[in-house]
Amino acid sequence: MLWKPHHIVPAHTKFDFMGKRVWALGLSTLINVLSLVGVFVFGLNFGIDFEGGIAIQVRAKQGTIHLDELRATAAALGIGEVSLQEFGDKSSALIRVQRQEGNAECVAHADTVMKRRAGNGWSVKPGASGTGDVVFTGPSQLDSAGWRDAVSRVGLTVLERELPRNNTNTVKIDMTPEQRAEWCQQVAIKVVDDAISEKYDIRGTESVGPKIGAELMHSGIIAVLATLGAIAVYMWFRFEWQFGIGALISMLHDVISTIGIFVLFRLDFSLTALAAVLTIAGYSINDTVVVFDRVRENMRRYKKLGLIDLLNLSINETLSRTVMTSITVFVAVAALVIFGGPVLYSFSIAMLWGVIVGTYSSIWIACAGLVYLKLRPEQLRHEEEGAKAKT
Amino acid sequence: MLHLPRWQTIAIIIFTALAGIFALPNILPDSVDDLLPKWYAQNRINLGLDLRGGAHFLLEADLRGVLNERMTNVADSLRGELRKKQVAFKEVAAEPNGHVTVELRDEAQRATAIEAIRAVDPSLVAAGTGPVIDISFSDQELTRKRKEVIDQSIEILRRRVDETGTLEPTIVREGSDRILLQVPGIKDTTELKSKINQTAKLTFHLVNENVAAASGGGLPAVLPPTTFLVPTREGMQALKATNIKAYDEIQSANPRLTPEQICRRYHPPCLPVFKRVVVGGEDLDDAKATFDQQQGGRPIISFTFNAAGGRSFCAATRQNIGKRLAIQLDNEIISAPVVQSAICGGSGIITGSFTPQQTQEQALLLRSGALPATLTIIEERTVGADLGADAIHAGTVAALVGTGLVMFFMFGTYGPLFGGFANLAMAVNLLLVLAGMSVLGASLTLPGIAGLVLTVGMSVDSNVLIYERVREERANGRSALGALTAGYERALTAVIDSNFTALIAGVLLFGFGSGPIRGFATSLSLGLLTHLFTATIFTRMLLATWMRWRRPTELTL
Repeated sequence: MLWKPHHIVPAHTKFDFMGKRVWALGLSTLINVLSLVGVFVFGLNFGIDFEGGIAIQVRAKQGTIHLDELRATAAALGIGEVSLQEFGDKSSALIRVQRQEGNAECVAHADTVMKRRAGNGWSVKPGASGTGDVVFTGPSQLDSAGWRDAVSRVGLTVLERELPRNNTNTVKIDMTPEQRAEWCQQVAIKVVDDAISEKYDIRGTESVGPKIGAELMHSGIIAVLATLGAIAVYMWFRFEWQFGIGALISMLHDVISTIGIFVLFRLDFSLTALAAVLTIAGYSINDTVVVFDRVRENMRRYKKLGLIDLLNLSINETLSRTVMTSITVFVAVAALVIFGGPVLYSFSIAMLWGVIVGTYSSIWIACAGLVYLKLRPEQLRHEEEGAKAKT
Repeated sequence: MLHLPRWQTIAIIIFTALAGIFALPNILPDSVDDLLPKWYAQNRINLGLDLRGGAHFLLEADLRGVLNERMTNVADSLRGELRKKQVAFKEVAAEPNGHVTVELRDEAQRATAIEAIRAVDPSLVAAGTGPVIDISFSDQELTRKRKEVIDQSIEILRRRVDETGTLEPTIVREGSDRILLQVPGIKDTTELKSKINQTAKLTFHLVNENVAAASGGGLPAVLPPTTFLVPTREGMQALKATNIKAYDEIQSANPRLTPEQICRRYHPPCLPVFKRVVVGGEDLDDAKATFDQQQGGRPIISFTFNAAGGRSFCAATRQNIGKRLAIQLDNEIISAPVVQSAICGGSGIITGSFTPQQTQEQALLLRSGALPATLTIIEERTVGADLGADAIHAGTVAALVGTGLVMFFMFGTYGPLFGGFANLAMAVNLLLVLAGMSVLGASLTLPGIAGLVLTVGMSVDSNVLIYERVREERANGRSALGALTAGYERALTAVIDSNFTALIAGVLLFGFGSGPIRGFATSLSLGLLTHLFTATIFTRMLLATWMRWRRPTELTL
């Protein structure tokens, strides 16, 4: 079968796409409203990239992983909410720990870790309330380099210069509450490490502090809006303002419904997921461009044809193209879903959905948009005159 | 009919061949690579940390400490300056918010007081009313300071990471007060974290000129107990360039070698210096590269000590005019200027035949012992090597299967000839992306592999657009040649538009994303850019050449 061409989509279709536009719009509105409701009611399952927190990938040293046992162990650690999931295969798991607050509990944990790792003579106590200060006491006198080394056992990085130059056996580390919260992430990693390292290997650790999480969220939203805006403006310059708005609506449709998929399947919304959303916005416009390009061409050719018929004609003429280009990307992404491994899973699923919904929205949503924006053939004229003036 | 001038065809072939040559080192075994010139063999795609394993840190510098320290010194100097100008004041206090407030006894002396402030540091800004003067650094100075602190922290980090013996760390500034540190191949980050905030050890020592004169530049056989040998920085740099094995041995020796052992074993240029420390780096407030106003603006380094440092420095220089003063940083002598005159008053200059770049570097090195800010880890990601290997495996399988499926699909839909053209263009596109990433030295991450897979899927799209248009033109009754030509030309605008819109998303993602995501944006954007070439020019060449050769009257499409 490989050696002769096939027409996967029949050459001459005459489907009344625009006649079904009310149905399509109804369906899309429903999906989008449900997506938004889902986001507000159930919330997105934000990964640590946006929420801050810790993710630790572990693998059982022997045999398969016992999620219940591991869950019980992790929950008893007192480092806040901990969630577990199988990751990749039966012997691996992902442990997620919530973002840490720089509270007294964290200092108590640091005390335990310090005693376990450096000996019982050590203690870690909180400093004056209202500050993030921490007081370390050791069994013997240390100089600044010794102190630097000692505090690093609990993941604290302090400038050597700010430690006492003369030998002392106690030292107060000045910190703001925010700095202490960042440090507590390090403490929590060590707490988990100590609790599970007997039975499990730690394969990878990610820790995102409270500050960076909030920033990534902020710039992520800006990135999505900027992308949508920039593409819409590009479409406006290349076509007409109606096309720009049509493209914008269809992109919004795709982005919102993709986010809906994340809510529905409780997929991890991480930086890669955001990459998927942006790529979908850029990709879904591909098919829209193909259709719009033909709409513009046909408007010049068939000046008397009504808008609905014109759109139907253009969509049918380009149908094989829109479907075929989507299939090629679809099969490539499908390979990612199946073989790409756990890290890329959310990304690939989102992309797969994006390819399907992008094709659908190019046909119905973007074009239906043109109907409601009352695109008229005569509005293309100034461009033709402009083109003539150029030549 | 599609036409392409012969020179363009040749240019395309040369261009593609070049891309192949640049992508080649990626698949060559190391044994072959060693035989090739370095500039060529190093054109390799780096594997990102998520694939090769390693640690990624985002560090934030706490600038408050630096600023407060500077202000305390300003307050100290200002008190002296005000007394000198006989301005009576109730108090000069450094505030915790990085300001200094002065309260004068007599409001009339305000102008003189402001003159004194200018004398202390011209970049200070004075505000406030009546007898109270509120002093802060100008925004410009704060920005400069911030940059200086970050540059210096980067320099210190580089030294610290080098000491741990790991290779190829990436240390770059991120935003105004952050540093991105990536260390490949490291598993346990405890030692690294401990080192991050270690202060560089900067000390000033007098050179033992008697010993230096006696040995005449060579290694002295016997040393008085007061003196030891320290290699010069230039010497160590030269050693690194000529004998990298020895340099690596020195860096990874455990326990660490003393400077004297390094001199005795590896014979880099060394200087005999007195063990006694004249001044320590902790007393050095600031060092910056400037230009000599008196001597025709030649590049110099100016430095400032705090009060204690200034006194020791004054005494040492007064007694040792004409002798060399060695500045030692972490077991290397970064320079040994000759003392021209007694340097009292806390500040001095180092002159010499420097280029502005050298003075910048020297000032940075001098500052390495002073003024740094605490670096807090605000993001940390570590990936074990075995996890990276898993990711490489998954990514490779996904990429191969994805590419295979797309090729199969194109053959199946458009037949061996046109499907073959499309697949050839896609393969060339992939080659161009890989060559581009090699030349740019970009990192390939797991999301980056996903970007390549997407590129594969998207790059046959342009052929789909062209072929479908050809089918349509053919159905409308055009001849085979006419349909091909029209199909290609009419599909082109849609191809270009769709690439550009996707590129917008890719570029914005690059600007916003970090780490692995940036890898995705890189491979996707590069793929779209090169696709513009393969879709418009390369495919055109294939079609034009084929048409001229076969003059088809029928198309199997």
